[in-house]
Amino acid sequence: MSNPDERTASERFTGHGAEWKSAPLGAKDAQSATAWVEQIIDRRSMLTNKDRVADVRDAMWELEKDGEILVHRVTDEHRPVHVKTLYGWDKKIPTTRLWHHKSCGQCGNIPGYPTSLLWLMNQMQIEYLDETDQTSCTAWNYHGSGIGNVESLAAVFLRNFHQAYVAAKAQGLPDGYYYPLVHCGTSFGNYKEMRSFLMHSAKLRERVRKILGKLGRLVDGKILIPEEIVHYSEWLHVMREEVAKRRVIDCSGIRATIHPACHVYKMIPEDVIYDETVLDGNRVAVSTGIMQTLGTQVIDYSTWYDCCGFGFRHIISEREFTRSFAIDRKIRVAVEEAHADVMIGHDTGCITTLDKNQWISKADGRPVGLPVLADCQFAALVCGAHPYKIVQSHWHASATEGLMEKLGIDWRARKAEFEEYLKDVAAGRGETLYDPRRMITSGPGFKRVGHAG
Amino acid sequence: MTGVTATTRVQEFIGDPLAGTTPVAREKLEEIFRDIQADLRFDHELNGCLNCGICTATCPSAHYYDYSPREIVQLLWTENLEGIYDAMQEKIWACAQCYTCAARCPFGNSPGGLVMLMRETAIKHGMESAKNVLRPFSRVMLKLISTGNQLSPDMISKDAFPDWGPNISKVDAPLALLRKAIPVPTLHTTKTAWEVNLKTSVELYTIWEETGVLESLKAVDPNLFDVIGDIMDEKRDEYAEWLEEQEEETT
Repeated sequence: MSNPDERTASERFTGHGAEWKSAPLGAKDAQSATAWVEQIIDRRSMLTNKDRVADVRDAMWELEKDGEILVHRVTDEHRPVHVKTLYGWDKKIPTTRLWHHKSCGQCGNIPGYPTSLLWLMNQMQIEYLDETDQTSCTAWNYHGSGIGNVESLAAVFLRNFHQAYVAAKAQGLPDGYYYPLVHCGTSFGNYKEMRSFLMHSAKLRERVRKILGKLGRLVDGKILIPEEIVHYSEWLHVMREEVAKRRVIDCSGIRATIHPACHVYKMIPEDVIYDETVLDGNRVAVSTGIMQTLGTQVIDYSTWYDCCGFGFRHIISEREFTRSFAIDRKIRVAVEEAHADVMIGHDTGCITTLDKNQWISKADGRPVGLPVLADCQFAALVCGAHPYKIVQSHWHASATEGLMEKLGIDWRARKAEFEEYLKDVAAGRGETLYDPRRMITSGPGFKRVGHAG
Repeated sequence: MTGVTATTRVQEFIGDPLAGTTPVAREKLEEIFRDIQADLRFDHELNGCLNCGICTATCPSAHYYDYSPREIVQLLWTENLEGIYDAMQEKIWACAQCYTCAARCPFGNSPGGLVMLMRETAIKHGMESAKNVLRPFSRVMLKLISTGNQLSPDMISKDAFPDWGPNISKVDAPLALLRKAIPVPTLHTTKTAWEVNLKTSVELYTIWEETGVLESLKAVDPNLFDVIGDIMDEKRDEYAEWLEEQEEETT
C-alpha cells in the first residue's frame, strides 16, 4: 500500500463519510498505527497460504479428461464476466440463463431477498428459471446439529446441481442451458467445500456416484460437477454498473456498513472476488462494490471481520450468545462508530440475525435500531422497486422506515398501497414476476410450457 | 506456599472436575477417536499446531464460552483421548461454525471443521450431550428431513422467538395472505420455505437412507425418527400412486 500522506481523497483505504478528517500523524506514526490492521485482518493474512493452495478446478479438469466426471460449463451463452479472486485467479460469473437455487432462510423469513433479486433480473431482461425441484443444501442443519455427513452433503449438492443442468428439458431446451445461481451464503460455502472434497477423494466420489445412480442423477454414468459455484452477490457485483444505470433514487447521503458473510469469504477464501477498484482490493468486493457504484458512502468499522453471531444452532437454542454478539459486536459498533444508516449483508443467516436481534436491546436500556437489508434489496429499493410489494420490508424487524425516509420514500403511502393490494391478492389477482406454470419442471403438477425466452 | 496447599486451593474453590464421573473405558475412548480420525476430512482439517492461538483470538465463541479452538486442535493433534471425550460433552457445541479460525490458521487447520467431525461422532455414539443439545433443534430436523426445507414461515412465531419483538410482519394480515402477496410463485407457502416437488422430497429420502443420516437421528432422537419415518412412508406412497396414475394415463 502506498504512503497514506501521498494519496488523494479518492484513493483512501476505506470510505469514512463526508466529515472524515485525517489524524495529524506523520507517515511513520500513521503506518505504525494501522500496521496491525494490514498484518492481521487484511486479506494479506490469507495470502500467506497462497503457495500452498491448489486450484480445485485443475483437479476437476484432470478428472474430466480421465473420463471420471463431467463438468457443467459456463458457456458464452451464459454471457460470463471474468473476475479475479483472492490469489488473482480467474472466475467466470454467468450473467444470464440462470437457475435460481433458493435459500430456505431467505424464502421462509426474508422473502424480499429473492424477490428483489428476481425483480432486478426482470428489469435487465435476464433469463432465469425458478422451480420447485430443489432442496435446501441441508448445511444449516448440519452445522447446527451435526445430523448429516460429508456423503449426504455431497449427494444433496450434486442432486440439486444436476437438476439445474437438466431443468431446461421441461421447456424443450438442451441440457446445461441454465446455470445454477446459489442464493444462500451457507449453501455457497458448503457446496464449494463439497466440490473440493469430491475432487480430492475417489472414495467419496464412488460412494456418491452410487447414490446419484439410484436417483437417475448421473450424466453418461458420471457425476456432474459445476465449473464454477456462483453466489448471487457475485452476479450482482458484476452487474453493478447495469444496476446503477437504473437507479432512480439518490443515495449519496446514505452511510452504509457492510457485513461480509463468513461462509461466503472465509470458508473457501481462494474463490472469493477481490477487486482493486473496491477499497483497493482490501475487502471482499461483493456488496461493497454495488453499494459504492450505487453512490452510497461505504463506511468501515472496526468489527467488520466478526461473524454476525448466527452460530447455526445458537440462533435456535443459545440465543443469549446470538443476540449479545449481534448487538454488541456488530450493530452497536456500526451505529456508534460508523454512524451508519444501514447495514448491508449478502447472506441469509446474517441478515436474519442482525435484523431480528435488535428489539431485545431495549431490555438493558440501551436500544439500538439499524436497518438491515441484503445488497439486492437496497439496490432494488433505489432502482424504484416497491418497498412492500417487492422489497417486502414488512418482514424486517429492524427500523427500515427511517432509511426509507432518508431516501425520500413515503413509506406510509407505499404501505397503504400494499395493504390495499392485499385485497387483490385475496381475490386471486396477485401479481407475479414470472409465469407460474414454469415453476414445475417434472413430477406431480408438471405441464409442458414453451420457452419464454 | 507448597504444592500441597495449591492443590487444596484448587479443590476448595473449583473442586475436582472428575469427582462423581464414571471413568470411561480406554477401548471406548479409542473407538471414539478412531471414528473421528476415520473421516476422510480429518487429515485435510488437521495439519499441525504450534499453539499460536490465532484461532482462539479471532473466535466469536471464545468471547462468551469456555471454548477455545486451539484447545480442540491440540487435543486432537496430541491424541489426548480423555480430553477429546471431555470436550465432546459440552465444549464442541459452543462453536459458532463461522470458520474464522480456518481462514486464519497458518497451518491451514480447520478447527471448525474438526468440531463437525466430533459432533458427528458424538451423535453416532448417542452421547447424552448430543441429545440434550439437539432437543431444541428437532423442529428444524423434522422439517428438513421430511420436506427438504430447513425453515418455513410458520416456524417464525411470537412464541418461538419472543425476543425478536412483537411483530413477525409489520403489516397486519394472515400469514397465508402475506405469503400469497410475494410475487414469486414458489413462495406461496406457509409450511415450507418454498414449494418442494414431491418427487424431490422422495429423492432426498433415498439420500438420507443411503448415507446413514436416519441412523444418526435414531441414535439421538428415536421418537423423532419414528415420526419422520411415518411421514416418509406417506409421501412415498403418495408418489407411487402418482406414478401409477401416470402409467394408466399412458396405457
